[in-house]
Amino acid sequence: MKNIVFLLLVFTVLVGCKNDSKSSDETTLNQLNVYTHRHYDSDKQLFEMFEKETGIKVNVINSKADELIQKMVLEGEQSPADVLITVDAGRLHMAKEKGLLQPVKNTAVIDSILSPNLVDKDYEWIALTKRARILVYAKDRIDPTELSSYEDLVLPKWEGKLLFRSSSNIYNQSLMASIVANDGEDIAKKWAQGMVKNQARKPKGNDRDQVKAIAAGEGDIAIVNTYYVGKMLNSNDRVELEAADKVGVFFPNQKDRGTHINISGIGIAKHSPNPEAANQLIHFLLNEEAQKVFALSNYEYPVNPSVENSEILKAWGDFKEDSLHLNLLGELNKKAVILFDEAGWK
Amino acid sequence: MKQAGSSQENFSWKYRIQRGIRDFNKWTVFTVLILLFIAVPVITIFFKLFDGPGESWEHISKYLLADYLKNSLYLAILCSLITLIAGVFSAWVVTRFEFPMRTYLEWLLIIPLAIPGYIMAYAYAGFFDYGGIFSWLLSPFGIENFKLDMMNVIGLSFVLGISLFPYIYVSARAFFLTQALNLLEASRLLGVSETKSFFKLVFPLARPAIVAGLVLVLMEVLNDYGAAEYYGVNTFTTGIFRSWFSLEEPETAIYLSALLLSIVFVLIILEKYQRRKLQYTSPKSGRTSIDYRIQFNRPKQLVLTLLVSLPVLLGFIIPVIQLVQWSVRTFSEVFNQDLLWLSLQSFGIAFAGACFTVLFALLLLYFSKWNKIYSVQSASKLGVLGYAIPGAVVAIGIMIPTLSLDKNFIDWGWASKFIINGTLIALVYAYVVRFLAVAYQPLESSSLKVNSSIPDSSKILGMGNFKTFFKIEFPLLKAGMLSAFILVFIDILKELPLTLILKPYHINTLAVNAYGYASDEMVMHASIPSLFIILTALIPVIVLNKLLLKNG
Repeated sequence: MKNIVFLLLVFTVLVGCKNDSKSSDETTLNQLNVYTHRHYDSDKQLFEMFEKETGIKVNVINSKADELIQKMVLEGEQSPADVLITVDAGRLHMAKEKGLLQPVKNTAVIDSILSPNLVDKDYEWIALTKRARILVYAKDRIDPTELSSYEDLVLPKWEGKLLFRSSSNIYNQSLMASIVANDGEDIAKKWAQGMVKNQARKPKGNDRDQVKAIAAGEGDIAIVNTYYVGKMLNSNDRVELEAADKVGVFFPNQKDRGTHINISGIGIAKHSPNPEAANQLIHFLLNEEAQKVFALSNYEYPVNPSVENSEILKAWGDFKEDSLHLNLLGELNKKAVILFDEAGWK
Repeated sequence: MKQAGSSQENFSWKYRIQRGIRDFNKWTVFTVLILLFIAVPVITIFFKLFDGPGESWEHISKYLLADYLKNSLYLAILCSLITLIAGVFSAWVVTRFEFPMRTYLEWLLIIPLAIPGYIMAYAYAGFFDYGGIFSWLLSPFGIENFKLDMMNVIGLSFVLGISLFPYIYVSARAFFLTQALNLLEASRLLGVSETKSFFKLVFPLARPAIVAGLVLVLMEVLNDYGAAEYYGVNTFTTGIFRSWFSLEEPETAIYLSALLLSIVFVLIILEKYQRRKLQYTSPKSGRTSIDYRIQFNRPKQLVLTLLVSLPVLLGFIIPVIQLVQWSVRTFSEVFNQDLLWLSLQSFGIAFAGACFTVLFALLLLYFSKWNKIYSVQSASKLGVLGYAIPGAVVAIGIMIPTLSLDKNFIDWGWASKFIINGTLIALVYAYVVRFLAVAYQPLESSSLKVNSSIPDSSKILGMGNFKTFFKIEFPLLKAGMLSAFILVFIDILKELPLTLILKPYHINTLAVNAYGYASDEMVMHASIPSLFIILTALIPVIVLNKLLLKNG
């Protein structure tokens, strides 16, 4: 028994030291350390493609953006991080504010691909994919011509019909920030209060659960992200498929500013040991081949306009996007949370 | 003893200090050193209490705190009830009675612990959802589209309770297995019924062991985040994350953690104070264990089997059925050979982490015993507090001191890059800090049973502390050590925030894999790595359970 314990210990220590014993400068140039909040299989595939193309090994640390940012702050100048990838603009803005990012090179190329609201003003972060926060409704109970905008959801006719998740969720916070930016604080607070008044149940579950709740008749209208609906329509779970089949998709605010969009984006770490490779990765992720992978495997909207949407997204048709600069979502995030709490949106 | 104690209380500070200097020995130094090593991250966080909260504190206390406190309190009370009933009852029945399937149920009762709380939450929500397995089971009876709503405080308490009761089961059983039976036999001979003997005699005697388990349950419940967030129940920990992430104020988050920490600390002290006059040692005749079990007639035995199967059904079989159903659907997408490699890595990390954690718990426990200064002994309780704080906050507490050390090493030219962070050293250190309580509680409660007169006589006869320990206390502690090891091993296997933040690039675990899917709302895809976690946990549980019974 003791021998087995000893052997196992030795084994683990050896596994642990395997890569650490290799040092130092030559290997850094051939490595890229990615701190990312994205856990998708599409990303794994893309990093493998990048490795093949450039010979640069990609090391990934997966965690929540907030924790990664905190880690980068504590690591300071010696941080091994080369790039930071998040699933919302607010967190990238926060990293920028904390001085954790540096400008991207070849800005002309980026300007030629991306529309200006998807890039930080100082080029410290850029968008990789887009998601729209839309309404889904019960096809059998709601006439979509009655729907119009986020703001109209507080009308008395929707009392007891709305489904949405907790205000801890970053997508809801960004939506709220966009309403604060577009309509002002007072209207935004009243909007949140009206939403709470019209809720069908207390906020709980994730985006998919809201869709399922519509299918089960707990409520009639829900706020969800496009790519979850896409994933549900392609799910191998019968319950999810049926639920997604029962709901219609509605892009709000088409007659005014457009539907709220959020992004998944990337920035280069201020103290990146290998900024060359980091820039290479960004340009690689923006090119058509990589954008196709994002679009097809994850039902996200590609930021590169020459890449087509996936079939499901095409079927929903084109829509007008809110062109609000995404920096504002970051700046107003805290305000949004405070207003949520004051309005009693759990 | 009592008299001596009460007269000492009147002595002045001056005398206390003189006595402190007299009693000072090398163990005092070692205790303080180990304590510092373990408690630095916790102390780092604790001192933030004096910095005060950030400006959003007013906002939180005005709009949110009442709700957080109410929910956390509900949760703590309901979970205590569930875990106490399930844990103590099943531990007593499997050690005291003989019934069919007993040997399997004995170790199956530990397994619910291996299912991560948030996975358990997803599994139960799915099981009772529309079109879920439960509604399918009901459909032959003409009930269509049934849904039992799990997503509230009661559902959350149930889910957490049923996954955490093994903490109480394990420590209570370790106690019952080595419990002096002669008292119970005497009570039975004098005509007291089995039930009455249990409540009047065995239950009070087992109190340190049960409380040890309960403390772990409460700490875990208070810092749960994943399950509570999914069920939409706002607890104290929700507040910690809200102020850290959403309100962008780490200082308020740390302030809240420190508050939570103080509450737990007060609870521990209160419990110790309340039982300080009670002695929990085995009778002079030494150790007797349960070597035979009561055999009822067949129908009664089957009733026992059913009763003890209930926690296994709820905590293991139902969630596993749900996970298996999901894994069948996602098998082709998720399953690949990497999973075996991941299992191996998870096993290795959990094994090494558990070894170090148990080792440090032992060192802390015995060094503080051998040191004679009472206040240092009490201070050693600080070592267990890492378990009460959310893992993500512990990670901060770990990174602050270790990163400054790393940076100094680079400045001094001793290293060219971080040698603690980003390697297994930081990760294992973090596990020791976080899970010390899990190892310490069962060890402490089983060390309380060792009658101090045995090691004392050994020392009077000229044996040193170490020799006495290895010859006398170590064999008596084996059951406690094995329990401690199993618990820590399983805990590390499913641990998340620390592993995510501190792990080296080339190391990956099953828990990280499962979380990757779950965090993107691909709960079904997370089922396969979750099942692998359970399988990996089974091996040591079965092996160690055999050892436990042999040594019991």
